[in-house]
Amino acid sequence: MTPAASDTSRGSRAVDATLALALVAGYVALLLGTTSDLGYARDEGFYFQAAASYERWFELLWRSPSEALERAAVDRFWAANHEHPPLMKGLFALSHALFFEKWRVFSEAGTAYRFPGMAVSALALGIVYLWGRRTAGRLAAVCAAISLGFMPRVFYHAHLDCFDVPVASMWLLTTWAYWRSLNGGGLRWAVASGVCYGLFLATKHNAWLFPGVVVAHVLVHRWRSLARGMTTGRLAVPAALPAMLVLGPIVLWLLWPWLWFDTGARLAGWVAFHTHHDFYNMEFLGETYWKPPMPRLYAWGMTLATVPTITLVLSGIGGAHAVRTALLPQLARRFVALRGLARGVDPSPHSATYSLWALSILVSYAPWLSSGTPIFGGTKHWITAYPFLCLFAAHGLRRAADGLAAFAPAAVRRWRAVELAVAVAVCVGPVVMALHAHPWGLSAYVPLVGGAPGAASLGLNRGFWGYQTGAMLPFVNERAPRGAQVYLHDTALASWDMLRRDGRARADLAGTLDLSRSSVGVYHHEQHMARVEHQLWVDYGTTAPAHLGLLDGVPIVWVYVRPTPR
Amino acid sequence: MRWLSLLWLGVPLLGVGELAASRWASGRAPTADEWRALRAEVARRKRPGEPIAVAPAWAEPLARHALGDELMPLAEVARADVTSSPRVLEISALGARAPEVAGWRAASEEPVGRFVLRVLENPSPIPVRLDFVSELGPDRVSVSDGGRACAWTARGARAAGGLHGPVAYPAERFECGAAPFLVGVTVIEDQAYRPRRCVFAHATPSRDLRITYRGVPLGATIRGHAGLSWFLYRDGAGTPVELEVLVGGRAIGKHVHVDTAGWAPFELPLGPDAGKTADVTFVVRSESPRERQFCFHAESR
Repeated sequence: MTPAASDTSRGSRAVDATLALALVAGYVALLLGTTSDLGYARDEGFYFQAAASYERWFELLWRSPSEALERAAVDRFWAANHEHPPLMKGLFALSHALFFEKWRVFSEAGTAYRFPGMAVSALALGIVYLWGRRTAGRLAAVCAAISLGFMPRVFYHAHLDCFDVPVASMWLLTTWAYWRSLNGGGLRWAVASGVCYGLFLATKHNAWLFPGVVVAHVLVHRWRSLARGMTTGRLAVPAALPAMLVLGPIVLWLLWPWLWFDTGARLAGWVAFHTHHDFYNMEFLGETYWKPPMPRLYAWGMTLATVPTITLVLSGIGGAHAVRTALLPQLARRFVALRGLARGVDPSPHSATYSLWALSILVSYAPWLSSGTPIFGGTKHWITAYPFLCLFAAHGLRRAADGLAAFAPAAVRRWRAVELAVAVAVCVGPVVMALHAHPWGLSAYVPLVGGAPGAASLGLNRGFWGYQTGAMLPFVNERAPRGAQVYLHDTALASWDMLRRDGRARADLAGTLDLSRSSVGVYHHEQHMARVEHQLWVDYGTTAPAHLGLLDGVPIVWVYVRPTPR
Repeated sequence: MRWLSLLWLGVPLLGVGELAASRWASGRAPTADEWRALRAEVARRKRPGEPIAVAPAWAEPLARHALGDELMPLAEVARADVTSSPRVLEISALGARAPEVAGWRAASEEPVGRFVLRVLENPSPIPVRLDFVSELGPDRVSVSDGGRACAWTARGARAAGGLHGPVAYPAERFECGAAPFLVGVTVIEDQAYRPRRCVFAHATPSRDLRITYRGVPLGATIRGHAGLSWFLYRDGAGTPVELEVLVGGRAIGKHVHVDTAGWAPFELPLGPDAGKTADVTFVVRSESPRERQFCFHAESR
């Protein structure tokens, strides 16, 4: 389990730290620069409300700590959205309090709320770089980080005051800390693993799956010593594992005041909420699924349809390389029939790393092996696998570049021009696609399925969460009568309130979920929501949308204006 | 063996190729301006009462935006089917075809910009003598519930339930009590979530909601469809709804609707009444009227 950093000098480490920081900072800057036309998604509205409640508790804690720590205060302020753990919402609250209310770093409250989500999302790029750098080299690692950041769906989710890319970052961070603990990091990194796992638990419930990764990893790589330990009574498990199991829950408990009282019942409530979650509707290949059995191909199919193909192919090459250099030599030692295949293969020093990445991917996707797992939420529910796909992609890139470099003259090889050219060729597509799809990231599909038009023809979901209202505001602001009510359809009222507070929506316009009282109606298309549009036709007396939001000619959201205003 | 390494060229080529393909994919569908530019060509070809079929179906909002209510009125957009239409104008983009008119003969086919406009002829159109949905109104129709007359209003309180609520209640309707006990024209979604215009007739506690059309020119059958909002009732937990048809006071048959059938067709032969003119009554009843937002479409043909 030895990392193969080719250059561990202080200068090289400084370069790597600088590059990692540049990737993180650059990504945050890009997210901030592209946030203004991205409407607030449905769940963002709920988290604005929760963060505002937690912010009031932080104020009370500052003012009167003893009062804040009493059960009445904790229950009052932390009951909001207690089905999700506190870390990100707490950060949203602090960011709003400091960067908007106090220092006015941001001109919009919504951006201040979103900022921690962006920052924690960007962290994943830095870690992918640092980890990829140790195993595949600098340029391949940069490319892996870019490939992650510019997956169109990742680029979308990374903007939000939500938990989906942050939890991918936390999964990656915890895995990285665990890996460091196995590779000479000692007790320091083992403890760090435990703390990171606590932060991970406090981010989103994907963390419940993570022990499966570590336990499987330990079993795969230490089964012999474990078996011996069973007989001698001394189990040699990595220190990080008990650290996670002990420190993780402690950190979660410390960070989540809601758990300070009635801990057992509230933990049970948290688990029950997610294990008995409603089955929302989701369209896949022209059919809306709303109850089991769900299509088992959904997760894999949507990954193919939304992750840039070049990234998946590179990841596949990297994965095949891992199997060939790490798994095959080990198997060949046990099975004579495989020895021919393994002949001439240099065994990789990264077998434990590869298996850790592979396990993270498999465990992230595992819930969707069951046809009983809900499929709402599109790709965000297995987004935790994507950083590891990109780490494999770094190795795929490295393989391709090395293969082609053999044909290049020595001068070209010296300047690593081949590797640079391949890196540019594989990164430019995802970057262009992600930026082009903005602000319609949840509706973006890759050319493999014909892009947005192809996906619409195949019957793949056109978007969800009502995030598209933001892109309709220039039209709504221009056409809505003074004091009009705007029917918001799938956009949460709290999200609309934030659009108004930020000055994106006119202050005199009121959001409503009562279609009949509205003068302007927004319709967010999902197959099962068509009945809302039909109601607009009957109520407004027209079938003609006044304005449409299009991605590559495909209608994503459209707006009706009542011919005779209310 | 060394030359096999040239296969690695596929990696950068795939990267650049995917970029090129994404540019191609993003530009291949017509823009909103192109749809708007199509209006005059469509208006020239479209006849009143002959619907427009848009292919691919996802482009239909663009067509409605560009062509407006005049060319795409609610009655045609939310049609029950196209079996009675002698012709349909198909607007085709991206090479797509409308499945509902598959096999129809093209009377004309002209490329217009990035579209193809086809006038398609129905191989066996069945003429409609009377469309019961379009005729709903105080001039021809009376409605009673348990023997009590339901009053007509053109200014009923509009209401629409959104995603999880009732269908849109139209302002023009017969009122048999407080909503939802009313009879009026609305739109429900079928099992493919497509719009279907129909007569909303919520089952009532009296189990005797009667909608009578006077002086109906009768063809050979009363043909129609019946359903409830698919989204709301697709679980199939609701009580069946019975639609009985009386001609001149004589029952000619009934259709029993179960929720899981979705938008389901029915056809009742008129027998000896065929070709005559008579009053036609639709009786709607259900053992339990709760949440029975029944809706039907029917034609005499």
